[in-house]
Amino acid sequence: MKKAMILLLASFMLLTACSSKTNDGAASSGSTDTKQADTSSKEVTVWAWDPNFNIKAMNLAKEAYQKDHPDAKVNVVEYAQADIIQKLNTGLTSGTDSGLPNIVLIEDYRAQSFLQAYPDSFYDMSSSIKAADFADYKIGPTSLDGKQYGVPFDSGVTGLYVRTDYLKQAGYTPDDLKNVDWDKFIEVGKAVKAKTGKDWLTLDPSDLGLVRVMIQGAGSWYLKEDGTTPNLAGNAALKDALQTYKKLMESNTVKIISDWSQFTGALNSGDVGSVPTGNWITASIKAEASQSGKWAVVPTPKLKNTPNAVNASNLGGSSWYVLNVPGKEAAAEFLAKTMGSNVDLYQKMNKEIGVIGTLKAASGGEAYKQADEFFGGQKAIQDFATWTTQIPKVNYGMHTYAIEDILAVALQNYLKGADLDSVLAEAQAQAESQVK
Amino acid sequence: MRSLLNRFKQPSLFGKIFVIMVVSTIAVAVMTSWVTVRMSQQLFMDTFSITNSKVIRQIQTSFESFHYAIIMATYDISQSGTIKNFLVQGDSNSLGNARAFYGMKDQMKRIQASLDTYGVGTIVLGVNGRSYSNDRSYWNRSMTELKNSPLTQEMLREPGRLSYHYLGGGSTPLIVATKTLREPDSKQIYGTLYMMVRENSFRQFYNNFTSTGNDVLILNRDGMVVSSNRNELVGTKSTLLLDHAQAMNQDKLDYQSLKYSGKDVVMLSNYLSSYDFYIVNLIDKKMAMGRMLPTREIILIGACIVSVALLILLIITRRLTLSLRMLVRQMSSVAKKNFDNYLPVYGSYETRQLGQGFNYMLDELNDYISQLVETQKERRNAELAALQRQINPHFLYNTLASVNILVQRGSKEKATETIHALISLLQNTISNVSETITVEQELANMKDYVFINQVRYGDEIRVDYFVSQDCMEAQLPKLIIQPFIENAFFHAFNLKDKGYIYILIARENEALICEVVDTGDGMDLDQDAKRLPNSKSRRQLFTGIGIRNVDERIQLLYGEHYGVSITSKLGEGTKVRIKLPWLVNSTETDEI
Repeated sequence: MKKAMILLLASFMLLTACSSKTNDGAASSGSTDTKQADTSSKEVTVWAWDPNFNIKAMNLAKEAYQKDHPDAKVNVVEYAQADIIQKLNTGLTSGTDSGLPNIVLIEDYRAQSFLQAYPDSFYDMSSSIKAADFADYKIGPTSLDGKQYGVPFDSGVTGLYVRTDYLKQAGYTPDDLKNVDWDKFIEVGKAVKAKTGKDWLTLDPSDLGLVRVMIQGAGSWYLKEDGTTPNLAGNAALKDALQTYKKLMESNTVKIISDWSQFTGALNSGDVGSVPTGNWITASIKAEASQSGKWAVVPTPKLKNTPNAVNASNLGGSSWYVLNVPGKEAAAEFLAKTMGSNVDLYQKMNKEIGVIGTLKAASGGEAYKQADEFFGGQKAIQDFATWTTQIPKVNYGMHTYAIEDILAVALQNYLKGADLDSVLAEAQAQAESQVK
Repeated sequence: MRSLLNRFKQPSLFGKIFVIMVVSTIAVAVMTSWVTVRMSQQLFMDTFSITNSKVIRQIQTSFESFHYAIIMATYDISQSGTIKNFLVQGDSNSLGNARAFYGMKDQMKRIQASLDTYGVGTIVLGVNGRSYSNDRSYWNRSMTELKNSPLTQEMLREPGRLSYHYLGGGSTPLIVATKTLREPDSKQIYGTLYMMVRENSFRQFYNNFTSTGNDVLILNRDGMVVSSNRNELVGTKSTLLLDHAQAMNQDKLDYQSLKYSGKDVVMLSNYLSSYDFYIVNLIDKKMAMGRMLPTREIILIGACIVSVALLILLIITRRLTLSLRMLVRQMSSVAKKNFDNYLPVYGSYETRQLGQGFNYMLDELNDYISQLVETQKERRNAELAALQRQINPHFLYNTLASVNILVQRGSKEKATETIHALISLLQNTISNVSETITVEQELANMKDYVFINQVRYGDEIRVDYFVSQDCMEAQLPKLIIQPFIENAFFHAFNLKDKGYIYILIARENEALICEVVDTGDGMDLDQDAKRLPNSKSRRQLFTGIGIRNVDERIQLLYGEHYGVSITSKLGEGTKVRIKLPWLVNSTETDEI
């Protein structure tokens, strides 16, 4: 009987132990599935922003790479550029690896601000690629202290896209606009507007892209060579550029736009006669197939009063960076094998997407020499490639956009009639106090 | 196998107890765990719904603060003269336009700064055809398309109201807050405002609270899922959920159980009045419970405990019923007529009592039987004694008449001899019936009887005696042989008037064999099986002693092995054989 009692007691203890165990299970159930973020380090994650351009290009690179490395996993994620900037800043500042990609695309203008602010967060690609293989002007923004961090991607080389039919109505040919200065450009614009009633070009008053094109063509920038000191007051090229900008506005040939869709809308609908911008617009222009043969590309105009200005410049352009997070070796190898050296890939990107790469070897390929029917048989790509080599090298420094915001205000004041020198001096002071 | 089957068909006490205990143990285990599980489930659901309704309130708060940010931005935009100018004024020259555009954009940028954290794309359309969009990735189609979209139509139907819409079809679904921009006084519409949020940024308000089996859905007024942590549900319609959400909102229910896409779910819901959306929280019961209840372990542990309990039970019940079973086995081995098989008394109190009772009963039974046997014997003896005492008066009369004749004839000696024979015959027969006598005495009796008969009826029938000498001292019951001699005298010689009767007595192993053989008529045994006649005649010595009685008497005294057997042949005679045990009285006391 005693034995039985003991046994009974024992089984009760067991039972209660069991029940308390189940309670534990219930309590901990809430926090079980949080630890999934650790994806396998074999997967290379890439962030880019333009599904029609750089994302497409990256997908081509992925295909090319997977041909030789069938088990490689590359995950291309699309984010708006602003989102990428924000996420990078958050991630890099907080110092956590989680949530950051292996490879990220950064616009050249912003590259230095990241490289200088977080030098340890980027993986040194010096040993993976050769900087000398790429267009010289790309090296400045993508390197820091002699170390090559970025793999230069697309060239932002600019050209002047013109409507040959409108020019013809105004009595000009595209040749009349080859290697001219901006004053001549305005003059032709006026004639075109007078004859056709169409505006000459579009401008977004808050985006000083055209000013940047002008000053880089003159080998100057918002910042001095050191990349940190604002270079507004007393910058002859800038002054010349702003004066030209005002002249352009006053010519009343500018269609004002506020965003990208209005920009492409205007040029596709035939509202404007010219587009002075980066070669990346080619795809958008070609999107309107009915205008085939009506376009030509000529070299970018240069500043008239600036002595060393050339008929080549740059707008935009970006490069790939490997972040210093787990999986960086695989990511670096992937980039080096594709964007860093694969000539065939560049040919394909050029053919399918219209990417003009900055890998020098690629410009010798077949695709670059092809005549383009859309541009009336012009070997447009080759021309761009040629101009790419002429782009003056400048240091975009860390604060391009910060200064541009200041300068945009200054420009508005100048357009309203303020004195340019004092406006610039004021902007200089403001910039100096802001970008320390 | 069959015995096993039989055991089931006729369940033993042990079997019954065991089966009942097994069933009840399992039943108790199952019921207890079922009740416990049900209770903990209920408790879990209650706490879960409490925490989740808190979570929903939190989600609601973040939705509200987003709504507030949108409201503020909308207010700022509608109050901004610069923006209004941009949307109403006609085109002027490039410079003027540039100023208007720049001013508007500047304003917008400032206003949007407050929305930066949410990732909102803003589009304004003006009556003058101008438009502004801060991020083309939200709406990559043309502005005229937007102007003619159902979204705009819907907005214009309710001017002045800030409403939220679901916009699918793009690369990612959008949630769009729309509002018309109107002149404060004349209520004239001068523009439309669209604030677009990607569905996946919309998720940030609740994504932290979701997990597998714990889903959040945002339903609009048509029951369409505008946002959910489950991608595949976004953009689908669910009137079921909408109905439940509306009902819950009306009845102020905390939570509700329902079946959704084949699963049992608990649904919590809250109405977002500012959006006209419903926040719906679906908790998959199975997943939530499954995580809480490790069913397999519970079953395993339950089975363990039950089997251990059953094992203990088995041992204890076996022990308890062991003595009883032993008792039963021994009882069943008490064979027929074998009442001496007493049981060992041990085990539990009840078993001991039972054993004692059984033994006591055996005692009583044995007593009773021996008593019965004794009574039977006594009754036979009494019968015999009574019979012996009934000496046929005719026999006496005839004998005395014969003596009288002898006396008259003058053969005095023969008469005296006859009287002597009668006297000794009577002396021997009237004495105690139960006595055994020696063969010698019996022989003397027989001779007396034969002598009397021969005096009366002549000596046509001769009697010869063949008695082996060693038998003289053997004992045998009285009046065993006499009836057969008598029988031979009066029945065997009906046809013949001459013949012999032989009396043979000999020892055969441990038996005494006495034979009465006559050379008379004989009989057909087949026709008359009952050759041992029970006839009564005046000539007989005793009227009551039947020949059949002799056989029964012998068997009663000595057992089945002994008795009388008769063989006979018509015309040749009859042979009666009496088998008796060999008994010798060592203390040769001749009692009367």
